[in-house]
Amino acid sequence: MSEKTSSSDKHGSVLVVGGGIGAMQAALDLADGGFKVHMVQKDPAVGGTMVMLDKTFPTGDCAMCMISPKMVEVGRHLNIDIHTLAEVVSVEGKPGDFKVRVRLAPRYVDPDKCTGCADCEAKCPRKVTSEFEQGLSTRKAIYALFAQAVPNTRAIDASQCLYLTKGVCKSCQKVCKAGAINYEDKGREIELTVGAIILGPGLDRYDARVRGELGLGRWPNVVTSIQFERVLSASGPYKGEVKRPSDEKHPRKVAWIQCVGSRDSHNANPWCSSVCCMYATKQAIIAKEHDKNIEPTIFYMEMRAFGKDFDKYVERAKKDYGVRYQRAMISAVREEPGAGDLVLRYASEDGKLVDETFDMVVLSVGLEPHKNAVEFAQTFGIETTPYRFPMTSPLLPVRTSREGIYITGTYQGPKDIPETVMQGSAVAGEAMALLGEARGTETASKELPPERDLAGEDARIGVFVCHCGTNIASTVKVDEVVEEAKKLPGVVYATNTIYACAQDNQDVIKQTIHDQKLNRVVIASCTPRTHEPLFQETIREAGLNKYLFDLADIREQCSWCHMGKKEEATKKAKQIVRMSVAKSRLQQPISTDTVGVTPACMVIGGGIAGMTAALSLAEQGFQVHIVERESELGGLVRNLHRTLDGSDVQEFLESRIAAVQAHPRITVHTGTEVAKTEGFVGNFKTSLSSGAALEHGAIIIATGGVEYRPSEYLYGESERVVTQRELEKRLAGGEQPKADESFVMIQCVGSREEPNQYCSRVCCQDAIKNAIAIKERNPNAQVAILYRDIRTYGLREDYYKEARDRGVLFIRYEVDRKPAVEKTNDTIRVTAWDYMLNSELTLNADWLVLSTGLRPHPTTDRVGEMYKVTRNPDGYFLEAHVKLRPVDFPSEGVFVSGLAHAPKNLDETITQALASAGRAGVILSHERLAVSGIIAKHRRDLCMSCLSCFRVCPFDSPYIGEDGKVAHNEVKCMGCGICAGICPAKAFQVNNFRDDQILAMIDAAVECEEPGVIGG
Amino acid sequence: MDKLAESAASDAVSPVEKPHEAPPGWEPNILAFACHYCAFAAADLAGVMRLSYPSNVKVVRLPCTGKLDHIYVLRAFEKGVDGVFVAG
Repeated sequence: MSEKTSSSDKHGSVLVVGGGIGAMQAALDLADGGFKVHMVQKDPAVGGTMVMLDKTFPTGDCAMCMISPKMVEVGRHLNIDIHTLAEVVSVEGKPGDFKVRVRLAPRYVDPDKCTGCADCEAKCPRKVTSEFEQGLSTRKAIYALFAQAVPNTRAIDASQCLYLTKGVCKSCQKVCKAGAINYEDKGREIELTVGAIILGPGLDRYDARVRGELGLGRWPNVVTSIQFERVLSASGPYKGEVKRPSDEKHPRKVAWIQCVGSRDSHNANPWCSSVCCMYATKQAIIAKEHDKNIEPTIFYMEMRAFGKDFDKYVERAKKDYGVRYQRAMISAVREEPGAGDLVLRYASEDGKLVDETFDMVVLSVGLEPHKNAVEFAQTFGIETTPYRFPMTSPLLPVRTSREGIYITGTYQGPKDIPETVMQGSAVAGEAMALLGEARGTETASKELPPERDLAGEDARIGVFVCHCGTNIASTVKVDEVVEEAKKLPGVVYATNTIYACAQDNQDVIKQTIHDQKLNRVVIASCTPRTHEPLFQETIREAGLNKYLFDLADIREQCSWCHMGKKEEATKKAKQIVRMSVAKSRLQQPISTDTVGVTPACMVIGGGIAGMTAALSLAEQGFQVHIVERESELGGLVRNLHRTLDGSDVQEFLESRIAAVQAHPRITVHTGTEVAKTEGFVGNFKTSLSSGAALEHGAIIIATGGVEYRPSEYLYGESERVVTQRELEKRLAGGEQPKADESFVMIQCVGSREEPNQYCSRVCCQDAIKNAIAIKERNPNAQVAILYRDIRTYGLREDYYKEARDRGVLFIRYEVDRKPAVEKTNDTIRVTAWDYMLNSELTLNADWLVLSTGLRPHPTTDRVGEMYKVTRNPDGYFLEAHVKLRPVDFPSEGVFVSGLAHAPKNLDETITQALASAGRAGVILSHERLAVSGIIAKHRRDLCMSCLSCFRVCPFDSPYIGEDGKVAHNEVKCMGCGICAGICPAKAFQVNNFRDDQILAMIDAAVECEEPGVIGG
Repeated sequence: MDKLAESAASDAVSPVEKPHEAPPGWEPNILAFACHYCAFAAADLAGVMRLSYPSNVKVVRLPCTGKLDHIYVLRAFEKGVDGVFVAG
């Protein structure tokens, strides 16, 4: 069991509380990085909020398609134990050694026996409103949270079950062939010992019924945004058709009302929920894609499109989809009698009151801590803010007040999916740094028998056809399929089985392999996407190479979609099995290589991102090289004095620099650049401009950004025109504003307009930070901020309110009507249009302060070309996946963090740096990396070096070898086979998807029982 | 149509063959090539949601539709498949 014993008293295991995407990311990184993970989740399945979403902004990717493979991975990871319907009761101990008691609520279904066939669900007579579908449809009293739930074990809702409440029924027990139902389940308590604790319970949604005037719960066609996600979802109550609940008609005019439950300290929460502007934009676009007749209108106060590529998304919504953005607050929604239509009253831009009728209204509800947030925090002994969020600092963004306990995801504060995933990897990095020496002490690994040598053997295929309870057998005549399989060439054995995936059947399969001397196995049951790894493991345990297996999908792709058509379904099932056997006959054992890993990382960039990542990795136990082109460490943060909440940045920076310089495992190369890098994940070789040569297993690119030097608004022409950073420096130097001294600030200088159509994210906070500092020093100084949208997202909203309360004037301008500035004798005269007063406004400024934003670092392109990583149109590095791989590059072993990725605030840079250290740590923790079996094999004897593969490979795995001909790096190959498709010489073949196998499947698909008849 | 195009059309060596009328009750035999990560997953989801479609389509799973080779499509038609559906 144990690979090594710990030299300290720290435990090599981590408790992860929560099961959303942030918690899953943390669990996977930790488990892949050599730690045992216990996941405690209060729901019956993992998935959190993301599984309820239809699509995601700003790319329109399907949420379930992205998260589903992650859930499967978490569900079957050897070193992740999922405890569902579970809650932590108590925590004792110290960092490295916590004792945690966990209460498991009764499930009434034995997870060891349940196969997830859902026969019980079909038979259960009790219909219950579905929480997952947000009340828009029903589920049964025995249920899975959603179709793709992990674990797939059903659970009985004790409050609804007829037997458990009234003592009658037992339908589920009668129908369950696996005998998994246990009405006597009482639940239990377990004790876990872990080294660190990660909290990721997520947030709740604001209950919009509190705002009665908006009509939720009263008018049926007023829905919440999460209900609308389900409306849009192809697996939702309307199967993706946009309908309204009252009459299931297709709505034409749909209104979104923003900030419901957010930015409102009277009936709701004072903070900004960060995600609603973007999800409303996404919902409007997707609704329009589903039904082109829909006319979406979004009623908003400020459009907070502050993230990477968000402003472009909003522009597209306006221009390409005709989404109307109306800046107005909605005071009330009332239903027109009879029709179910809804009338919204608002003040238009010119101040007139307007009544407008819509067919459907979506309330963009905000996020808030769970009702039990305070008790939850008390259980773990961590401090909370007055808003019931856990107490953190922008400089230590994922640490709580108790050492060894970290937080991830929205629990810390509202945030979107990529930031949540980033925090997942960041807490994994923090826990790895804390428990570094205990890595690998508690993880399990499997002892496997040697693989049987098949040399000289003909194919001896065994076919197992699954009934899946009645899921397959009620539609497909399983016995006929078995008989058909027996006739196929190469098949020496065929049988049926009630549940192919049941634990006891794995032993049957292994015994049969032995008894019948099988050398290939085909199972006809469900989808390979979820079940192939299980069966591969089983045959491997019986001494067969795991690639001598094929799964014929006769459930998802046959019985479930041809119900009631027994003959047709049976015929199709036979064909599917025939195709599978044809492929299986040609299967060969595949040996998987491993490559060694150099346990060191090179970090390019010695700013706060680079130093944070370096310190984390060094604490984890790895050698780190920081390569910084400037003569000293620190980067852009050298110009920053205070954070919005008042933390001293320079003091923090000094402490980081001192820690980096003192760390025995960190080497700093200042005044140096990377001259050349070659190699691949685990094995990079780099030469520096200084002549030094480094060997390392991973690379973190943290090359940073630069501040924009403006040419607008008389900058450089008058010493009274300064940037926010210059003002901050003066204030830090102790400058005291005088009474009536006037500061006018202009936002979005050089941002959010062509050619820089993006938000620099930091400038609103910078302006408010400096404005508050001025007012603090002299309340009689005058500050006015000319802005387009104030983007104090999340908990930063408090400071916006504070600035207003202190008398800072906020005056909105539009991009096509920018403020005009001119020099007068000793002031700067600023003229702007005031949209509130509908008149021109003149301000005489002693100081004109420009909020100038950020630009990519000038070296970004050169570094990008060196590592073949792409940049987005704005010049920032493009990550491997905008949602789920926010710090990875498509090239394995190369990561990004900080401003090189996109503009962001200091706390976000630190988080991302910790995340890149977490991700790099996963790779470096392996002595050897296994290469996947499903990769393209390259035959140099057939290759003509035409470079077709070289051009199309997304992973950069073909390369030009030393002999000048194409060679193939299998370590980088992901097995997509694009090379094989394009290669004119057929020099590439993908293992298990070889051309001869695919052609055999095609041939088998058209063969049929009666010779001479084509098709079937 | 301008004159040049008109003459080109009339000079065509072999006129396009007229499609045969389908006999009554004829069902096409369709082969689908689906990407493991998206279209194959979508076909699974269709099953999970119990959506019904005709049974005369069989799916060949590919690691990516970029893996599709011309020869697969040609072989399918050569063997008498009536329609090829590539999804990914």
